[in-house]
Amino acid sequence: MSRNVDLSIEFCGIRFDSPFLLAASPCTDDAEMVARAFQAGWAGAVLKTTSVEDTPVDLVYPMIVGLDHEDKRIFGLGNIDLISHHHIDVIEERIRTLKARFPDKIVAASMMAATRENWTAVARRLSRAGADLIECSFSCPQGTLGSKPGFMLGQDPELAGEVTGWVKEGAGPTPVVIKITPQVADIVEVAQAVKEGGADGICASNTIPSLMGIDLETFEPYPRVDGKSTYSGLSGPAIKPITLRVIAEIARHVGIPITGTGGASDWRDAAEFMLVGARTVQFCTAPMHYGYRIIDHLKDGLERYLRSKGMQAAGELVGRSLTHLVNHEELSRTKKVVSRIDSRLCIKDDLCYLACRDGGHQAIELGEDRIPIMDEEKCVGCGLCLSVCPVPGCLRLEEVSREKAPAEDNSE
Amino acid sequence: MTEQSMTRAEYLQEVEPLFQDHQARLEASRCLFCYDAPCTRACPAGIDVAGFIRRLKEENAAGAAQLIFEANILGGTCGRVCPVEILCQEACSHTELSDPIQIGRLQAYAWSRGYDRLDITAPKKTSPGRVAVVGAGPAGLAAAAELARLGLGVEVFESGEGAGGVLRSGIPAYRLPEEVLQSELRLIDRLGVTFNWNREFGRNLLLDELRSAGFDAILLALGLGQSARVGIPGEELKGVFWAADLLSMIKRDPQGREELAASLGPRVVVIGGGNVAVDTACSLLRLGVAGVSLVCLEGPGEMPAFPSEVRFALEEGVELVTRSRPLRITGDEAGTVSGLEGVGIEWKEPGCFLPENAVSIPGTEFRLRADSVVEAIGQRCPRGVLETLELELTPQGLIHVDPETGQTSDPVIFAAGDMVTGGATVVQAVAGGKKAAREMYRSLEGKK
Repeated sequence: MSRNVDLSIEFCGIRFDSPFLLAASPCTDDAEMVARAFQAGWAGAVLKTTSVEDTPVDLVYPMIVGLDHEDKRIFGLGNIDLISHHHIDVIEERIRTLKARFPDKIVAASMMAATRENWTAVARRLSRAGADLIECSFSCPQGTLGSKPGFMLGQDPELAGEVTGWVKEGAGPTPVVIKITPQVADIVEVAQAVKEGGADGICASNTIPSLMGIDLETFEPYPRVDGKSTYSGLSGPAIKPITLRVIAEIARHVGIPITGTGGASDWRDAAEFMLVGARTVQFCTAPMHYGYRIIDHLKDGLERYLRSKGMQAAGELVGRSLTHLVNHEELSRTKKVVSRIDSRLCIKDDLCYLACRDGGHQAIELGEDRIPIMDEEKCVGCGLCLSVCPVPGCLRLEEVSREKAPAEDNSE
Repeated sequence: MTEQSMTRAEYLQEVEPLFQDHQARLEASRCLFCYDAPCTRACPAGIDVAGFIRRLKEENAAGAAQLIFEANILGGTCGRVCPVEILCQEACSHTELSDPIQIGRLQAYAWSRGYDRLDITAPKKTSPGRVAVVGAGPAGLAAAAELARLGLGVEVFESGEGAGGVLRSGIPAYRLPEEVLQSELRLIDRLGVTFNWNREFGRNLLLDELRSAGFDAILLALGLGQSARVGIPGEELKGVFWAADLLSMIKRDPQGREELAASLGPRVVVIGGGNVAVDTACSLLRLGVAGVSLVCLEGPGEMPAFPSEVRFALEEGVELVTRSRPLRITGDEAGTVSGLEGVGIEWKEPGCFLPENAVSIPGTEFRLRADSVVEAIGQRCPRGVLETLELELTPQGLIHVDPETGQTSDPVIFAAGDMVTGGATVVQAVAGGKKAAREMYRSLEGKK
């Protein structure tokens, strides 16, 4: 029997029919594509970033490089893309068309500029065109406008706060979200600054400046553009843990609505983003890899998950994990855990033995039948063996009473 | 041509095509890289299987081939002909998760990509002696390579005109392309091994001759040269063949092989249930013989042929006539084969698949029409060779050796391969040859 679960969620005063939207990307740089995404069921889309600077957007190709992990393609995806090469007139027209066709879907516009006048002017134009939300890219790692190479606005808290104010001036009633970069020393400081600058929300975060790899035959880095290359912005599953940390840090220390993006591939990732504080989740690499159709599985998975947890609405997830998150020094030192094996599940690859021997505490021995034997005296419960075991549930950490344990191991 | 024969594979078409680069990387990526890997333990030749797969994953095919080569000079061959499903792949831990890693195919791939880039250092000339190897089959070749790498002077004496033994003349080209064996023989040449052709042991090559020629140790690895006879009436008819002869003619005569198959007539019956019987039946089908039946005493799950071989035979269109005892080969007035008569059997004692345990079932007599009959029930050591050696023999009439060392009752003479085991896999012959080689080296080192 199924109870209805409400997937819709509010963010910056706007109701999304689900937490799932498309991030500013090639996925959203064409009105017909976005229309198809809406028809497929996405709650909203952030149109690819626009601007009004004099120089035309000069894209280079190839601009995309996949990072494989063993037999899996696109563990990460690097790009040297720039903002939309379409004129802002075109973007305005898209906003109007899409809103007319899909009044219940959220059409957000992404922008960047180089001068105060333009930050304000572009925001005004997008607001007047009918954008539901304005997202400002303070964080595109490549092709920065009007400043020193490689510099991102999101790396200067003071400037970020100030520019947020300029955007707010032009945006009028339209909520403004600032898309920040994880590439900073203190993410909280930046988030606090844009909040004080008047931002309605934060998009956390963006791709990470990266070098995607080197062709070992020619020595040219990827992507190879006529024998030369440059740094890419890395997205995809590889950066998910970084994004999770960024969202969690902002949620813990800055009271501001968060839309999460960077490395979410499925509903499980999205749920994790929400559990540390995101209200909506933006996707880019996953639909670029597998198409808009993944929205069916995102919604179905999240809905069943919420139901299984006895929740009625997606919003109930937001921030639920934060109480479990503390600083390192606050972690418990009073309980000892040890690794235990369910030998019925063991497939005798003995990777746990090797890992513990060469990367742990020599707490595992091998029986004559190759089944690992745990030495609970030596085991400190580090968790490495669980990480290497290919069989889920074969190894687990169990609490043992501290009294029975030997003298404390202070080696770590 | 029947419809079935229209779709048949060509004789040279490989059973298992080589992996392409990306396929190999994908397959290698599945490997768990176990500690003290069970696959490595299961390899009779001692190849570091997990190690070479790791190198393939890292796109280092030459390094992978080096690991294979160091343990098994016939690594390319074994990648194709090893019964991996009962050796390394059976041991694979990944079986518990999904399917075993396709180790044989990865080994064949590694070899093909890396054998021409191996590091082969010329052995240092610190030779404790000179050694003769009699027979250039898998055991003899493996021993010769091992001895050469240990720094000994090695001479191989072979009755035929080329090396390889069963690899050269027995295993069909669709399972083992000629160039694989040739690549391995070139490596053995590079190790400095000398070959003497057309020297048949017991005829124009005598043990005393080798002793007096100053060899410090002698390895006998002659294999089993003589085909066993079923021993039924009609074996003298025109159109009765022995599998080893037929397979050799097919393998060694690329131009004439189709003509040869055609000369057998449209219906051929093969007697035997082992791998050689299957190889013969499938070779003949691939060369255009219209119908091939395989008659054997054992049931489908009881045949000595590897299970994968039996499945292959069925896929190729061989008609299996199992649990059947051939009684007589019939002939026409001209003395030419016209058919085979047989009878169904059951086992007296369950689980014992030997001829003396088979009981004919009255009323199940049958007759198969045949233009030719091929007997493929195994090989024996040629009569007269062993008897003259004054070496201790086993009750089965094989050379007795110390299982740990390969040493015969004469401390200077070692033996390996099928003439010790009575007939086993290529990789077991390699393992036996290697072991004997090391012991020979050790015994000569001790004498220095």
